Amino acid sequence: MDTPQDPVARTAEEVQVFEAAKIEKKTHQTRMILFGLLILCSTIPLFLTLGVPNKPTQSTVDLYSTLMSVPDNSTVLLQTDWTLSTRGESGGEFEGLMRVLMRKNCKIALYSMSDAQAPQVAIDEIALLLNPERKAKGEREYKAWDDYISLGFFPNAEGETASMAANLRSAWTGKKAIDVQGQEEDVFQSPVLKNVQTIANVPLVVIITATNSFNVLIERLAGKVPVIALVTGVMGPESNVYYSSKQIQGLAIGMKGVYDLETMMEEGINSPGKDGKVAFEWPNHPPVAGFPGETNYGRGKLYFPTLHIDMTLMILAVIFGNVGMFMAKKRGNR
Amino acid sequence: MNEHYTFWKMTAGVLCTVGLYSVLYRENKFYRFFEHIFLGLAAGYAIVALWTENLKEGWYDLLVGSQGTAGHSGPNGYYLYALLLPIGLMGYFVFSKKHSWMSRIPIGIVLGLWSGQQVQVWWNRYGGQIQDSIKPMVPTVWSPAFKPDAAGMDPKLAANVANNVYISDAVTNIIFVITLLAVLSYFLFSFDVKNKAIRGFSTLGRYLLMIGFGAIFGSTVMMRFSLVIDRMYYIWIEWLMNHVMHGKF
Repeated sequence: MDTPQDPVARTAEEVQVFEAAKIEKKTHQTRMILFGLLILCSTIPLFLTLGVPNKPTQSTVDLYSTLMSVPDNSTVLLQTDWTLSTRGESGGEFEGLMRVLMRKNCKIALYSMSDAQAPQVAIDEIALLLNPERKAKGEREYKAWDDYISLGFFPNAEGETASMAANLRSAWTGKKAIDVQGQEEDVFQSPVLKNVQTIANVPLVVIITATNSFNVLIERLAGKVPVIALVTGVMGPESNVYYSSKQIQGLAIGMKGVYDLETMMEEGINSPGKDGKVAFEWPNHPPVAGFPGETNYGRGKLYFPTLHIDMTLMILAVIFGNVGMFMAKKRGNR
Repeated sequence: MNEHYTFWKMTAGVLCTVGLYSVLYRENKFYRFFEHIFLGLAAGYAIVALWTENLKEGWYDLLVGSQGTAGHSGPNGYYLYALLLPIGLMGYFVFSKKHSWMSRIPIGIVLGLWSGQQVQVWWNRYGGQIQDSIKPMVPTVWSPAFKPDAAGMDPKLAANVANNVYISDAVTNIIFVITLLAVLSYFLFSFDVKNKAIRGFSTLGRYLLMIGFGAIFGSTVMMRFSLVIDRMYYIWIEWLMNHVMHGKF
């Protein structure tokens, strides 16, 4: 910031400008202090092992039970409409979802209706994070073509989703992927889509999104196939209506949704653990098994306590800001 | 080699993150530089993806046919697909004053296709919500007040528990229906409402909307914080600790 000059021997207008510059400088300094505090509050907890107690919500309980009800080895359509710009939430959602689907040996056809980069982001997550994690535990790595395929980006979400609902094979005519021999082949030749004729052959469509593409999917696919959604916090309020009206079977919202999913992956629902005790009880719900002892916790457990600290900082800043403004006004009135 | 590549790739990510966050201090050239890189990369990537994943596979390959791979003979070309090109190109006549009428042809086709879907689309989106808005407000069971846990119950009894409307359910439904009607009454703009009760009801709707917007704002703030936290994780843990210090901390 430029240093304001001494106002001595200046006109009233110049003094006013000088005062305004002084206030602007002070506001800038305060803002910088707040940003500094935010960076500290967002960093330090990441190095500590903080635990926050968690009770999953109804919508994520339904999401997890729907996910677990998908038959092993079946093909799931995954509309992955997120990129690194929302990795904080969507990345955690994707990783949790994929860990469950991989443990059930499900085959995954992934595509995006929202962002050209989204399919590559998903492929990178599988290749750079999830596969090494499985390899380290001596589990089978997920292979492109055999276990998952990327159908790429569809820029016309409305038309494409309507086509998928009408005739899946025709909607994806001409789509190619690289097979195990390294050659381009029709995607319907792959083990992932070989037995899929219509959208009704798919037990579940999953959407991970930070955008309006969710509405388009509901408008064209809801009722034809079970749908679950994992959305960002911003999308939460508008997505909740679809869950409460049962247009979708389950919903995970933002960081809380990620942590809920991870909690149920570890504890299951009404499922007795090795010690015979039920870690997570949910009334009127049949038991759903978890994966105790596996790599279940990720970004949700790591980021959720940090988010609490950041929120506390914001609430304190709002309180102090308002108290300061109130006191300044009072002084001005005197 | 691979490790070095990953390191430099991640370092570039850190530089981009710091560059973009530098706008918090003030508008500066460093920020502008990374902003333009980001926009250029996104636009370039989208153009390539549009060709390779859409126009080539969904139009060009079908138009010219393909030789086939892995022992399979490919399909013959279907030259009628060529007709789509002039129709698509007509859209660009929107930039010409003299021939702009031609752009209305592809726009008309798209609008026609879109309009044809709308009845079904509207019902698919809102039908379920309208149906769900019709809720029972009178309890069918007065005691107990809350829905009991049906775990371990006889299946018939459990089904009864699921179907009954308990006092707590009825209260929830009443709050829902009042909120719905109050908010709807707030949007009665077509005529001047003079009735005091309705005006009071619509004021209630305004306050309830504000509560809703507050919740939406809260969710938005949480999302923004999550993004900052993730960036900090990327810089301090993924890059600094895992790649620069190789986990020696």
